Amino acid sequence: MTKQDFRIVGKSVKRADVIEKVTGEGKYTGDYHMPGMLYGKIKRAEIAHAKITRIDVSRALAYPGVKAVLTHRDVPRVLHYGSPHPRSASCTKDQYILDDRVRFWGEGVAAVAAISEEVADEALDLIDVEHEPLPGVYDIDTAQAPDAPQLHDVGPGGNLVIPPVRIERGDVERGFAEADLILEGEFEGGRPVPTYMEPNVCVADWDGSNKLTFWTSTQTSFMVRGALAEVLGLPLNKVRVLVDHMGGGFGAKQDLFQHEFLCALLAKQCRRPVKMEFTRRETFIAGRSRHPFRMWLKQGFRKDGTLVARDMKIIFESGAYGSHSPGVTNVGTASATSLYRCENVRLDGRAVYTNTPISGAYRGYGVVQTYYALDIQMDEAAERLGIDPVEMRLKNAVREGDIAPSGHPIVGCGLEACISHGADAFDWAGKRNNPNRSDPRNPAIRKGWGIGCEMHGSSAYPGIKEQGNATVKMNEDGSVTLLTGAAGLGTGAHTALAQIVAEELGVTFESVSVVHGDTDVVPWDIGAFASHTTYLVGSAAKIAAAELRERVLARAAELLQESAENLGLVDGIITVRGNPGQSITLVEAMGPTRGVPSEHLIASGSYTPTKSYSFAAHFVEVAVDTETGIIECRKVMPVHDVGKVIHPIAAQGQIEGGIQQGIGHTLTEDYVIDRTNGRSLNAGLVDYKMPLSMDMPDIETIILEAAPDPGGPWGAKGVGEDPIIAIGPAICNAVHDAIGVRFHHYPITPEDVLKGLKARREQP
Amino acid sequence: MRRFEYHEPKSLDEASELLGTLGEGAFILAGGTDLFVEIRERLREVKHLINIKRISDLSAIEYSETSGLRFGALVTAGELEAEPSVIRYYPNLRRALAELASIQVRNRATVIGNICRASPSADTIPPLIADGASIETFRPEGGRTIPLAEFFAGPGRTVLEQGEIAIAIIIPPPQQGSGRSYIKHGRRKAMELATVGVAVSLDAKDNICTGARIALGAVGPVVLRAHKAEEILIGSSFDQNTVERVAEQAMQECTPISNVRSSAEYRRSMVGVLTRRAIELAREEPA
Repeated sequence: MTKQDFRIVGKSVKRADVIEKVTGEGKYTGDYHMPGMLYGKIKRAEIAHAKITRIDVSRALAYPGVKAVLTHRDVPRVLHYGSPHPRSASCTKDQYILDDRVRFWGEGVAAVAAISEEVADEALDLIDVEHEPLPGVYDIDTAQAPDAPQLHDVGPGGNLVIPPVRIERGDVERGFAEADLILEGEFEGGRPVPTYMEPNVCVADWDGSNKLTFWTSTQTSFMVRGALAEVLGLPLNKVRVLVDHMGGGFGAKQDLFQHEFLCALLAKQCRRPVKMEFTRRETFIAGRSRHPFRMWLKQGFRKDGTLVARDMKIIFESGAYGSHSPGVTNVGTASATSLYRCENVRLDGRAVYTNTPISGAYRGYGVVQTYYALDIQMDEAAERLGIDPVEMRLKNAVREGDIAPSGHPIVGCGLEACISHGADAFDWAGKRNNPNRSDPRNPAIRKGWGIGCEMHGSSAYPGIKEQGNATVKMNEDGSVTLLTGAAGLGTGAHTALAQIVAEELGVTFESVSVVHGDTDVVPWDIGAFASHTTYLVGSAAKIAAAELRERVLARAAELLQESAENLGLVDGIITVRGNPGQSITLVEAMGPTRGVPSEHLIASGSYTPTKSYSFAAHFVEVAVDTETGIIECRKVMPVHDVGKVIHPIAAQGQIEGGIQQGIGHTLTEDYVIDRTNGRSLNAGLVDYKMPLSMDMPDIETIILEAAPDPGGPWGAKGVGEDPIIAIGPAICNAVHDAIGVRFHHYPITPEDVLKGLKARREQP
Repeated sequence: MRRFEYHEPKSLDEASELLGTLGEGAFILAGGTDLFVEIRERLREVKHLINIKRISDLSAIEYSETSGLRFGALVTAGELEAEPSVIRYYPNLRRALAELASIQVRNRATVIGNICRASPSADTIPPLIADGASIETFRPEGGRTIPLAEFFAGPGRTVLEQGEIAIAIIIPPPQQGSGRSYIKHGRRKAMELATVGVAVSLDAKDNICTGARIALGAVGPVVLRAHKAEEILIGSSFDQNTVERVAEQAMQECTPISNVRSSAEYRRSMVGVLTRRAIELAREEPA
């Protein structure tokens, strides 16, 4: 890549939406109110697996203020995907809008529209539901038993969501035969939920032409449009999906939810707008969590640390429906081909239905689980072989040209750079060799240091063949409008896209405004996921801007009677090479002249990526209270290679947020389901413990531009999902360094720590 | 949010009469930080809400060296946290206040509301019980003063009679050479419910314990006093062996349950660790 001076890209420009956000003027879906609007609520099952034998809604319908009640008898019975990616071959159609069967505790069985949320809520109590209970499966072992009750008639059977994903490279048996050390272990992970700030919310409104306008907090507005149109039997131009500001999604808002269909149907029946908004509790029971998992991992190493064989079986718990399980199983399983290079691998990945809430997409998408195990076992191997953990990772780190999980040779690989740079900056050797590990104020507290690594793709390729689109318009006053379908989850994606357009076109950042989130207006978009928005849509925006620049300069060339090749465009000024006195502004070039309107200048760009990978190494300091078992994560140094950085502060924000979530996963966050009856035990933020600002460690972020990928704008790669992956094993490895206890699961609770210490003391 | 009737009495007499006549389903609103959440989440059936914020004389904080500290039913956790006499003489209560929920909640929540909610894990109750606090009530026929240790009848239940209103807390002044501490144990540094809370209030002369009150939160249906543990400590020096025995005895005296926050065994073992640490901390910070 040639050296280039950037004017806008790489600078932390003021986010375009910052004033709206700070003043509260920014409109979120929940802020929309319409005359005559009704409020919808969902009646949720109080049983995890049952056949509905009778629903009586007469008392609810008679309740003053209630306008409609829907049950499975009143809605279209169309089997549909939970995860509506039209181009993904691996989706599973296993959901109805409402069914006469309940498959998890909290599943919606009826919906009410009423004149207020209060009335709707009160009416829920007046719906009488009778069930015939069915035997349930509440964990993956019971679900896989030969005579287990089946949740679905579709799919391969045995409560599998999809046929097992099997990947084999090289010769695993030969690899193990060459190994000096073979490690085998079982790993498990809990059920973290994304807990976005903005609970799911939507507003539906039908007009006189039978067109549905649908405001919803979604990452994938065109997927919502597609699934709604399909299930409601409408052409795509009769469903308009709108989303402006969003309070986060973290992947989970890629699904099409039960309430979204029901909101549209209630509005249709009542001929009035209807709003439906989840309570925080509903974001747990009816939202999407990360897949709980169990993984068996066996690896062989030579004396010098070289990894020679990897045999892995992983089972993801899908919950009651498939949602993103096909994607998560494919991506999670394939990810174990890489990170640490190994020629002989044999991988088996499965997703299993259980009568528990639905697991879906969540930042890290199957990779959080597999790399947790990979990186902990790497530490164990280092310990057993007497090799420093950093050396061990450098020896095995994946390199440029190695085959990536996607099946392609890796182009820009920054993993070694992240590990080496971080080891120096963190003073790894100095810290690990420090014999004094006790806290002077409390000798029961012991410190430890650990490392974890990760890589993550900047697109969903090859699982999904993505396509990014952008349209850029030049207005007659020289201002520029970018139209994009990319959702703004709160990441600052639209700011990054405007930076890219401004840089490529040659205008100021402030002169570019972004129109987004209206499926009737903006170009088709696959959705904001897979860490791909800047990489994919950014590339499309750059292509569109380049074309627009050419057309602007062609017009200016006519006006100036110069050849276009002789013209430059910087900060909205058109200059003539070798003749500075002749420069004109964009307004002069673009504006109307007497009697002649301005030229219509518009350009579109489309981009189909393959795959790039971002890399990171996280270095962590923990302090473990050996009497209470409390683990405190005190210091984190995340070192990331994300290629060219478009907006450093936004990238850093992504990294810090990922670390917060990763600490939560590893130490405190677990949505607990009663394994005897499928009930939720902590569906709320009182007993589901997210780390808060006071719990955050010192974070010293280092972003390297070590390995740009030519697939992204100026070499930019993804950053969205990366930061949540390496932090977990880094903490777990640091805990081992502190107290000598090795954990194979998350979250690691204080009780686990005390039990681990006790077991260690009792060891002969 | 479920619908309810709203009342705004101007006097304690009026409030008491409303409580008496409206009966079950009538609740007092002071800070509302717990109540509104419970209404919204349908954890409490509220038919009548009686706002006592229009009643005068419930907002005072007074301290004197002879009678100690007295504060009214409308005093917020935030106000008491910033009160100089609390900072100076009741570091255990101060610590409990500073760790209660968040700054935003503390600016609204009343301390007496935290007490009357009668949660076994309430932060302010263990230090107040350890300090020998009493609660003053209003009844039309005449109020009473109840030792806080005898105020709770079970989780969420107090000995208040129908129409009786808690109006103030009184804490005796600290004695010379006394020390006090509170340790809250949870997974987070803020916005946390105590998994276990231990408050210790000690009197000592010539390094011999002359008085000890140990209050244990979240390990029983109400906040407990560890009387037998206190007896071991009284008359002894604070040597490591004694303190270990006291901690061991406190573990025996608590009656924790298992729930999603923690197992009973873990809570019990934390009572031991925290009692020892609380005694050490109280000895470091004598008044």
